[in-house]
Amino acid sequence: MGISTIFDIASSGIAAQRLAIEVTGENIANVNTTGYSRQEVVLENRPVNSASGVPLGGGVQVQTVRRAYDGMLQQQIVNGNATYQQNLTRQKALEQIQPAFNELASDGLGQAMENFFGAWQDLSANPAGSAERQALLSRSQTLVDTFHQMNQSLSTVANTADNNLAGVSAEVTDHARTLALVNSQILTTNSLGGTPNELLDQRDLLLRQISEKVGITTTLASDGTASVALAGGEQLVSGTSYSTLYTSAGATGNQIRISGLGSPPPANNPASDADVSATVGGSGNSLGEIGGLLQVRDSIVPGYLGKLNEMATNLVSSVNALHTAGYGLDGSTGNNFFAPAGTGAASIELAAGFSAAKIAAAFPTATDPAPTSTGNNANTLRIAAIQQTGFAFSTGSATLDGFYSSMVGGVGIDTEGARNLTGQGASFLKQLNALRESNSAVSLDEELTNLTRYQRAFQGSAKVINAATDMLDVVLGLVR
Amino acid sequence: MRITQGMTAENAIYNLQQQRSVMETLQEQISSGLMVNRPSDDPLTSRQLLDLESQIAAGDQYTSNITKGELLLNLTNTALGSMSGLMQQVKKVAGDLVSGSTDSNVISGAVSNLTQLKQQLVDLGNTRVGNQYIFAGFSNSQPFDAAGNFSGTEDALSVEIAQGSRMATTVAGGSLLRGGATPAPVGSGATAGSSPVDVLGSIDALISAISSNNTTAISDGVKNMKAAADQIAASQADVAGRLVRMDNMKGMIADNQNTLKGIYGDLQNVDYARAGIQLSQQTNAFNAALATTAKLTQLSLLDYMR
Repeated sequence: MGISTIFDIASSGIAAQRLAIEVTGENIANVNTTGYSRQEVVLENRPVNSASGVPLGGGVQVQTVRRAYDGMLQQQIVNGNATYQQNLTRQKALEQIQPAFNELASDGLGQAMENFFGAWQDLSANPAGSAERQALLSRSQTLVDTFHQMNQSLSTVANTADNNLAGVSAEVTDHARTLALVNSQILTTNSLGGTPNELLDQRDLLLRQISEKVGITTTLASDGTASVALAGGEQLVSGTSYSTLYTSAGATGNQIRISGLGSPPPANNPASDADVSATVGGSGNSLGEIGGLLQVRDSIVPGYLGKLNEMATNLVSSVNALHTAGYGLDGSTGNNFFAPAGTGAASIELAAGFSAAKIAAAFPTATDPAPTSTGNNANTLRIAAIQQTGFAFSTGSATLDGFYSSMVGGVGIDTEGARNLTGQGASFLKQLNALRESNSAVSLDEELTNLTRYQRAFQGSAKVINAATDMLDVVLGLVR
Repeated sequence: MRITQGMTAENAIYNLQQQRSVMETLQEQISSGLMVNRPSDDPLTSRQLLDLESQIAAGDQYTSNITKGELLLNLTNTALGSMSGLMQQVKKVAGDLVSGSTDSNVISGAVSNLTQLKQQLVDLGNTRVGNQYIFAGFSNSQPFDAAGNFSGTEDALSVEIAQGSRMATTVAGGSLLRGGATPAPVGSGATAGSSPVDVLGSIDALISAISSNNTTAISDGVKNMKAAADQIAASQADVAGRLVRMDNMKGMIADNQNTLKGIYGDLQNVDYARAGIQLSQQTNAFNAALATTAKLTQLSLLDYMR
């Protein structure tokens, strides 16, 4: 046992404190890094020996650099992300749909419908009037145009969702590739005997990012690598290999397909790769941005379009049925008002070659059996009465106005519902993230305090070396 | 719980955002004056508002129908009033000659007087507003020719004045002046003075009776003229009744509109005083949040480390 032991102990102290300061520096440097988990050095004393006659430790050593991490929280955040992103996507689409139905702030389909029947009422007071006939024609054209426009704006939302599927799939593939790479780096670091803390952070961040896009289940292996399967069970990442999630054109928009596993994965082959469109968004498309997009494309927009089509169908058939029985100013009868083939919101049109003189205001009466009288208004009253007629809609019996009003209310309820769910999801995620932050995030105050602590300890160890040097000088002086 | 600067910052951003969005909503309500700016603001109220809007619009349409109907009926009323006046003169001429006259001057004077009066009745029967003949029914051509033959239809032009309730805005010209679409037989002897009366035909018969100084026929004619005046007066009373009904309906719709608009306003109009107070409360809270955020995010151990 000699003075050199003091050097040993002091230098172990210097090395350990230096590493601790390094870790503190790393923490401070990454204070704003997304997904970074703070690290701390775990120090332990070196094995005890009794060379000095008493058992004494041989200095300090770094046992490990530990990452502050809570696996349970990570899993909850993954699940919360999937639901939140799905709701957010739906909300965004509904916010785009809503203005088309915003009858409160602007004149839309409801107003156009009211104007249309109002024009028939006006015509009833002066059935031969050319101004009234012209007004009816132009209001009918407005009604038809409004149907087209509603159809257009709804279709645009569905198309946008469909187009976005390609981008989202590409993003998922990108994340999957990065995750496979991180997996292989984790294996390499393990084989070199290191602790891959930063890589584990990256892994967790990637899992969170993938869960924002699609519904997934993850399996963490004991070596730290993560495997990811889609909601339908198809493997997206397995160890160091991954597969490509991509879109291919289908009959009703993009289909989502997944390639085989590999690194790199085999080339896309839409003919044989599995079609996961039905399952990739989780059950009922309830997970991830992709679930939201599919729901917008496959159920929300078609639902509203279906209702618009119902309205158009009932309007066209009821007006035509009465109109063909009536007589025009030119004595013609059997004329359709709307083109009978156009029974949808997209295809509704005025009958081909229709003119103001063909508007059938007249209807045979006992004293006017085959109306040649231009003042006959009996048919205008019958057609105007359609406004108050109840039709059997899929949601029950309602007038055209009433059905549209409840549709507007329905859009409002859907939008409000999606907004509430998004709000709840956001505050749930915020809570989870706060818990994660509380556990894993870097606190500058803490790091600065640690920095001072390790710095002082470093100075202390250096002082010990100083003392040992002095002691060695004294000993050497004895010899001189 | 461990609190980091990151958490403080995240929390500050989240809460400031929440407060801003509340202020945004208040600001939108105040600047637009509307409580419900889009269906999702309050879906059930928007459904109610739309129903109210369509009821108000229907009321407006019925009011407009009534106004047009009233125009036609008022004109009809005026024409009928003039016809009544003419019939008084016809009755007087006929009454003066009820015991006949052999004075050719008197006879020719009476004949030309009656011919003129009949012609005026025909002219009134051809009254029109714009290009609509008010006594022509569904027909849009002149209903009476110079001889008084009726070529219109007996239909009445109806407009809707309330849901499912229609009101005729014209009077059938044939029934009024000819006793029917095909002229009623001219009363003589026992049937004299029976209704319906072919007014124009009876005047023609009266003219020929006076010309031939046939006192029996003249006294039949006098009875017929009395019945004819009654027929026109009855029609006038009918039109007056319809005008009253329209006026009442208009009043009812106006009352109804007032109530509906009141409810609509209660639901949709912003209570500025309440919104203003809420806004100033919110602004205070927001100011406090800003002040504390600015203070807390500044705090750091670094300031005290040398």
